[in-house]
Amino acid sequence: MELSLNIQSKKNEKKHFSAGIIGSGPAGLTAAIYLGRSKIDTVVFEKIAPGGYIINVEKIENYPGFVEGISGQELGKLYVQHAKRFGAEIIDEEITKLELDKTPFIIESSNESYTADSLIIACGSSSKKIGVPGEEKFIHKGISFCAACDAPFFEGENVVVVGAGNSGAQEALYISKFAKHITIVEFLDHPTCEPILLDRINKNDKIELLTSHIVVGFNGDEFLESVDIKDVNGGEVKPITAKGSFIYAGEVPNSNLVKDKLELDKNGYILTDKHLKTSVKGVFAAGNVRDTTFRQVATAIGDGAVAAHEAYKYLEENK
Amino acid sequence: MGLISEQDKEYLKNEFDKNLKREVQLLYFADQENESDYTVQTKELLEELVSLNENLSLLIKDCNDEKSMKSENLTLCPSIKVKSKRSGFMNFYGVPAGHEFSSFIEAINDMGSDNLPLSEDIIEDLKQIDESVDIKVFITHGCPHCPGAVRNAHTFSLVNDNIKSSMVDANYFDKISRENQVSSVPHIVINDKVSFTGNMPPRMFLDKIREVLK
Repeated sequence: MELSLNIQSKKNEKKHFSAGIIGSGPAGLTAAIYLGRSKIDTVVFEKIAPGGYIINVEKIENYPGFVEGISGQELGKLYVQHAKRFGAEIIDEEITKLELDKTPFIIESSNESYTADSLIIACGSSSKKIGVPGEEKFIHKGISFCAACDAPFFEGENVVVVGAGNSGAQEALYISKFAKHITIVEFLDHPTCEPILLDRINKNDKIELLTSHIVVGFNGDEFLESVDIKDVNGGEVKPITAKGSFIYAGEVPNSNLVKDKLELDKNGYILTDKHLKTSVKGVFAAGNVRDTTFRQVATAIGDGAVAAHEAYKYLEENK
Repeated sequence: MGLISEQDKEYLKNEFDKNLKREVQLLYFADQENESDYTVQTKELLEELVSLNENLSLLIKDCNDEKSMKSENLTLCPSIKVKSKRSGFMNFYGVPAGHEFSSFIEAINDMGSDNLPLSEDIIEDLKQIDESVDIKVFITHGCPHCPGAVRNAHTFSLVNDNIKSSMVDANYFDKISRENQVSSVPHIVINDKVSFTGNMPPRMFLDKIREVLK
């Protein structure tokens, strides 16, 4: 029996902090550790559960130090303990508005209002929808973005996974514990997951990899019944009977909160310089939400450390 | 070694010491005639928990005792109801393991204290509800989004006696999940007739409930 603890029982009394961090994934919590060790009073806001996106991941195998891999949930829990050890306050509230025109910056949640002298935006990214007919209709009615949440509902069923990157491959392997058959549909002519994951997929009798194909529609009455796919090189639309579909076809940054306040690139990622400074003085960005070339736990950790170091310098210079 | 790690036990001891100002009873209904690994492990978990603070107690009842089930307003077995002198209906159908362990601990802390993590305007609106609201939050243990929905529903019940809230383990109660067309969690069912999916901030959650009551 696995037991995961993330408790917030008491209403938070403190309303002003030197450093505010939005998001408690690897980047946010690393920043909290570094700021805590610099004796900066720090608050971390999280809307779902501390650990961020990684808590959805069954096993992380490419993060140094964990030779046999570690579950995302366990790693997230360690990050939280580590950040709390150095005094970070973690508040489970979704931030709905930021005011960055003057300092202290104002941070509003649905319950409360807080202020902070500096901010680190580390909201991460979310799975991208593919924008084909039927997708909106069948979200939560067969289509899911969270295998850890919903894979058990497809015990003995056919499932289509969209995308053969690391997320798609890893989650297909997890879903294969429940589903009868999984078709991974990848629009490129090759999977982009790590070769070690590809080996496992090839060895898994339940998983079929279909490259050079795209999903063009989701069908059913009230619930998903089939997924239409098409060869990118031409040909007929073919339906695959499936009661479940999990979409891992890229990501979108969770930057809505700052879209009119910070400079973003054309895809919505926050633009930063090499010090992870954003277009507003005193506001830094770290992890998957910023414009970077590779998004992994390891890179988010590095970002968190840099952002914290720069936020600390900013706070010292603006005492 | 028990089900709760030594490190978590220490953490929970501190949490309970800080929060529990009154006695909290965990009322565990299970089918005593047909014990399973699931119900035995649940009992072990509850026994470990109540050993961590003198304000916690465990009362084990039999689901076959229909009169007791009915008097507690319970319809599924197994079930764990978190009770104290504070009003509120916080119930868990199935075992609150995985991510849901957190919402279970929060329910204990809330029942044993005067915690009310809701804003004043939400509390005022909740007080205005004058008809029965039965909230069932279907979850899976691997769902990180689910404890937030369970907590919202449970805290609503602290404000208004008309509101009853239960977590439902969707995998264990698979027949009921199918009947309620659960294919993604958290799946929230209000008064056994209207449902919606996904965790949301308390204000949005409350608005959904009010829509049902219109």
